[in-house]
Amino acid sequence: MFGYVRPLRPELRIRDYDAYHAAYCGLCRALAKRYGFRSRFLVNYDMTFLYLVRASVRPAAPTRRCFCPARPGRKKPCLCDDDGFARVAACTVVLCYCKILDNIRDSGFWKGLACRLLKHVYRRPWRKAEQDAPEFAALVRTKLRALSELEAAKSPGMDAAADTFAAIVAACADDLPDEAIRRPAQALLYQVGRHVYLCDALDDLAEDLRTDGYNPLRYRFAPTQTGLSDEDLAYLSQIMDSGVNLAGAALSLLPVRQYGSLLENIVYLGLPAVFAAVKTGRFRAGAKEFPRKENPS
Amino acid sequence: MNDPYEVLGVSRNASDSEIKKAYHDLVKKYHPDNYADNPLADLASEKMKQINEAYDSITRARASGASSSGGYQYGRSGASGGSYSYGYGYQGASGGGQYQTVRELLNSNRLDAAEATLNGMPNRDAEWYFLRGEIAYRRGWLDEARQNYQAACSMQPGNMQYRSALQNVSGAYTPYRQTNYQQSSDLNDACNICNALLCLNCLCGGGGCGR
Repeated sequence: MFGYVRPLRPELRIRDYDAYHAAYCGLCRALAKRYGFRSRFLVNYDMTFLYLVRASVRPAAPTRRCFCPARPGRKKPCLCDDDGFARVAACTVVLCYCKILDNIRDSGFWKGLACRLLKHVYRRPWRKAEQDAPEFAALVRTKLRALSELEAAKSPGMDAAADTFAAIVAACADDLPDEAIRRPAQALLYQVGRHVYLCDALDDLAEDLRTDGYNPLRYRFAPTQTGLSDEDLAYLSQIMDSGVNLAGAALSLLPVRQYGSLLENIVYLGLPAVFAAVKTGRFRAGAKEFPRKENPS
Repeated sequence: MNDPYEVLGVSRNASDSEIKKAYHDLVKKYHPDNYADNPLADLASEKMKQINEAYDSITRARASGASSSGGYQYGRSGASGGSYSYGYGYQGASGGGQYQTVRELLNSNRLDAAEATLNGMPNRDAEWYFLRGEIAYRRGWLDEARQNYQAACSMQPGNMQYRSALQNVSGAYTPYRQTNYQQSSDLNDACNICNALLCLNCLCGGGGCGR
C-alpha cells in the first residue's frame, strides 16, 4: 500500500518540486547509508511525506549533489540531513519488511516464493531497524496482529480496520519531544494513514471480490461483482473529504518553518486527486498525473 | 512571546490594511468552527489567542504613535481593540448527569473513559447516539461518527447541534482554506457568472429596470 500520498504535479511549484526531489533522493541515500545498498529499493513517496512532515518544523538542511545509482551519469541534488532521516529510514525498513511478511501470508506458493526470497534479502536491515526503533517495531506487530484478527472475523467495521494502519503511520511521530508539534503531526499522519488504507481497499476491491479476499469495504457496503454502487461511492467520497478536512486542520496547527506550500499541495490537492483517480480506476491504469514509476528528470 | 509581526506573517512596514487582512485570514484559518469537536481545539484556541494578542499590540503601538520597531508590549492586553474572541465548549448542554460526565470526559479528551460510561447506560436516546458519534469523530473514525450522528438526527430531527455535526462529516461543510494553491476552475466560475447574468436578465429585463 505505497504510493498513495504524493503531490499533484500540475499544481506544484518548481521550487517545491525541487525540494520534494531532494527529500526523495535524500531518503534513498540515508537508507543506503544506514541499512545497506539493498534498502535503496524501499524508498517511496509515502515515507518522503513522513520526512517532510517531520522536517517542516526544523530549519532547512543543506542540499548537496550526490551520486545516484539509478542515474550514474550525473549527480543529483540530495538532501543531507542524517539526524532527520534516521527515524524515517528505520520506519521505512520496518514497514516494508512487515509488508513482505504480510504478502507471504496472503499469497499462494508461487507468488509467495518471491516474497520469501525478499524476506531473506531484507532480514539484516530489518534486524538493525528493529534495534533502532524497538517500540515502533513492537507497535507495528501488535497492530498487524489486530488487523489479521479483524480480517479473520470478517469485521464490517471499516474504521476499526483503517485504525490499525493509521495508528502505525501516526506512531512514526511518537518520538517527537514537543507536544505542540507531536499532537498535530500525529493527527495529520493518522488521517493520511486512514486515507492510504481506504484508497488501497477501494483499489483492491475488484480483485478481492474475484479471489474472495478480505476487504473492509466488502463487508461494510455489500458491493456487487462490478464494485460499489454509485450511492456507496458518494458516501465514501464524503467520508474521505471529511478526513482531508481533519488532516488540513491538523496541518494548519503544525508550526512549519519550511515545506509549508508543498505539504498543503499534498494534503489538499494530492490526497483528493489520488482518491478520485482510484475511484475511476485511473490510478491503477497509471494515469498521466500519477505515473506508476518514479521518473526523475 | 514572539514578535507580533512574525505571528501575523507581515513585514514591519506593512500598511494597516495589510495587517488587517493578514489578521482576518488567520482568524478564519484558526476559527473554532474549523476545530469543532476536534481534539486539537486547545492548540487552535492557543494559536487564536496569540493572533489576537499580536494584532492588539500592533494596533495599540500604531495608535499611540510609537515607532513600529520593537515598540510592542509583552503580555496579555486588557481591553482588546475589536479583536475576535470565541469560546469553546457546548452551549445549552442538556440531559442527565451521566451525559454531563461524558461531555466533561470528552472535553478532556479521555475518549475510552467516555465510551465506557456511555456503554454502561441503559437507555439509547438521541443524545446517546450523538455522544457516541462525538467519540468516534474525535478518534477520526468518520464512518462510525456519521452513522451515529445520522441515528441521533433521525430520532430528533429538530436539534441543530446534531444536524450541524452530521453536516460536518457529510462533506457539506468546507473549512476556510488559506492555501497558495487553488485548483484552476475558471470554466466553472465563468459558467456561474453566465448563469447569474442570465438569471438577472430574466428577473430584471422583462420589467425594464433602470427606466
